[in-house]
Amino acid sequence: MIGPRISPGPGSHSSPRRAAGALAAFVAVALPLLSLAAPAKAQVVEDRFPGVSLELISEGTRALPFAIQPFAAPPGREDLAQRAENIAARNLRYSNRFQVLDSLPSSITRGSEVDYALWDQVGAAFLLTGRIEVSGNRVELVTEVHDVIYRERRGQGRFALPGVDTPEFRMAVHAASDAAVEWATGEPGMAASRIVFSRLGEGGNRELWVVDSDGENLRRLTNHGNLALTPAWSPDGRRIAFTSFVSGLPRIYELDLATNRERQVPAPRSGDYITPAYAPDGQTLAFAITGSSGRSGLYTYNIGRECCFTTLIESRNEDLSPTFSPDGRRIAFMSNRLGVGAPQIYLMPAGGGQAEILSPYRFDRRGYYSSPDWSPRGDRVAYYGRIDRIGWHQILISEVGRGNRILQLTPNQSGNNEDPSWAPDGRHLVFTNGSGRGGATSLRIVDAVTGNTRTLVSGMDVKYPDWSPSLARLVTAVDDR
Amino acid sequence: MHFPRLFMVAAVISAVSVSACRRDAPEPPAPPPPPPAQAGPDMDSLRAYQDSVARAQEAARAEAERQRRVEAARATLTAMVNFDYDDSSIRSDMEPILRQKVEILRASPNVRLRLEGHTDERGSGEYNLALGSRRAQSVLNFFRDSGISENRFETTSYGEERPLVNRSDEAAWAQNRRVEFAIIAGNDQINPPGQD
Repeated sequence: MIGPRISPGPGSHSSPRRAAGALAAFVAVALPLLSLAAPAKAQVVEDRFPGVSLELISEGTRALPFAIQPFAAPPGREDLAQRAENIAARNLRYSNRFQVLDSLPSSITRGSEVDYALWDQVGAAFLLTGRIEVSGNRVELVTEVHDVIYRERRGQGRFALPGVDTPEFRMAVHAASDAAVEWATGEPGMAASRIVFSRLGEGGNRELWVVDSDGENLRRLTNHGNLALTPAWSPDGRRIAFTSFVSGLPRIYELDLATNRERQVPAPRSGDYITPAYAPDGQTLAFAITGSSGRSGLYTYNIGRECCFTTLIESRNEDLSPTFSPDGRRIAFMSNRLGVGAPQIYLMPAGGGQAEILSPYRFDRRGYYSSPDWSPRGDRVAYYGRIDRIGWHQILISEVGRGNRILQLTPNQSGNNEDPSWAPDGRHLVFTNGSGRGGATSLRIVDAVTGNTRTLVSGMDVKYPDWSPSLARLVTAVDDR
Repeated sequence: MHFPRLFMVAAVISAVSVSACRRDAPEPPAPPPPPPAQAGPDMDSLRAYQDSVARAQEAARAEAERQRRVEAARATLTAMVNFDYDDSSIRSDMEPILRQKVEILRASPNVRLRLEGHTDERGSGEYNLALGSRRAQSVLNFFRDSGISENRFETTSYGEERPLVNRSDEAAWAQNRRVEFAIIAGNDQINPPGQD
């Protein structure tokens, strides 16, 4: 009798939302029964605000059972295989797409052939295999994903493994995990990615820090001894643009992660240069200039060619925090044009022009919305805010073009939830969570489909997280066959 | 014979007046050298000497008073201005201090200021950067509308990032919502209003 450990699938974590009964309950079922992740059910929690509901993105997906065959290794390299398997298992769990069956006894495998009948009996829909191959100095991880039901291989990859204690080792396994997600579902993963954020340190200063998507490899990036704020990844994952006060006045800088060199966006006129974001071309930065003799607005600068300031929008209001749609045709941003103390989220053409409101504005409510981030899938904009003048901030999603339906992702009792940023898979979001008094104290990750939430880092004052694009191509050579 | 005692007094006063004198202050008249010790009492030179001592004392007093007024003017110039929650308009109770600043700026044409806007910790960090900018801009507008050239100011915002009081209550928030004034030029050329 086989006795595999069943790891929790999506929905089996307890969460305040589930306690509130906003989600259809998931049932953890013992083998061989499969738990079915029911599609999230919409529930309007704020009848006073028609159109805004505490609910999740409705994908109608099942959490398919994904078994991991114990990774194989040549004699003496078993620890390598074990480490890689553990990292991959956690990644698959964090993807919130599967019920992961791992930590199986190695005796379950017989020979090199995949025993589909066995895995069918275990209840797996997919199977991940992995083996370490060593030739000379070169160590590689070879992975395969098999469809147990159709009894066929869905994909195979070969990933160069650097030294086992380096961040690159983990990143290589993350890349392998994302490949497994893609082979199984046809959708991108997000394990091979990092989150940059602004962390409070000595003397009230803030530096940029970065952490892997699984919470490992936390490290400091800048050493400005001042305020480094609102970081944004370049689309190729090689650079980070941010605001720093290191010169005495807020200016925009770009940090090259490979060389650790920084360059500054020139400041041809007075004002505070804040909230940069990259266009999909990776060369154009959009940002806000505020406080320049009443002329505030959104501007772009081509940092690749080091030229060409353009004005997107300029007025006596403040327009800031731009974010590009993935096709580069539109920008979402926040603006206080409807009144001081009630910033709203707007969309407009990327070259400037007529702006339309996206956030759920009600004339007498003084709703407050901030920090938009356009989903890499293109059809959603996340931001945060509150519908009333008082109350905690919650993470919201507007579904662009589908009647701009608005979903509230975080439950009302969970404190202040701010600064959402999309993962490269287009379904997870990182955000800050705090009590609302003093700075936020943790970064959390929520899956917009299942509502599962986990803590990424905690016990520090954190702000402005930005999730990188997929870094799989940067850190390891993937050899699809 | 009173000369030795007078000599000592004069030396002390002279030392005091020199030490009270700043680099940029006019030199007080130097007291004349004491009369030769072997000469007999000469009422004219004694009177002249006493007059010069009085003048030195008066100059020292005036200089000390001027310094006191300059320091007061500097304190007025850099006194913070506070704001209401999520508001960048100048509060009526803040107008008197701003008008005093205007008088000093008028009398001190070489002084330049950086206006630094701050907010409390509530609300969006990005929005608060903009709110701080707007507060600095409100102060700049007040100065400009009072006839002071806006070229004498630069503005910036620290948003919620540099709280004055690191607590989370109404009293702390009220102090943290502010514009600070940093003297970036002419710090040694501050003239109290009504002088010169």
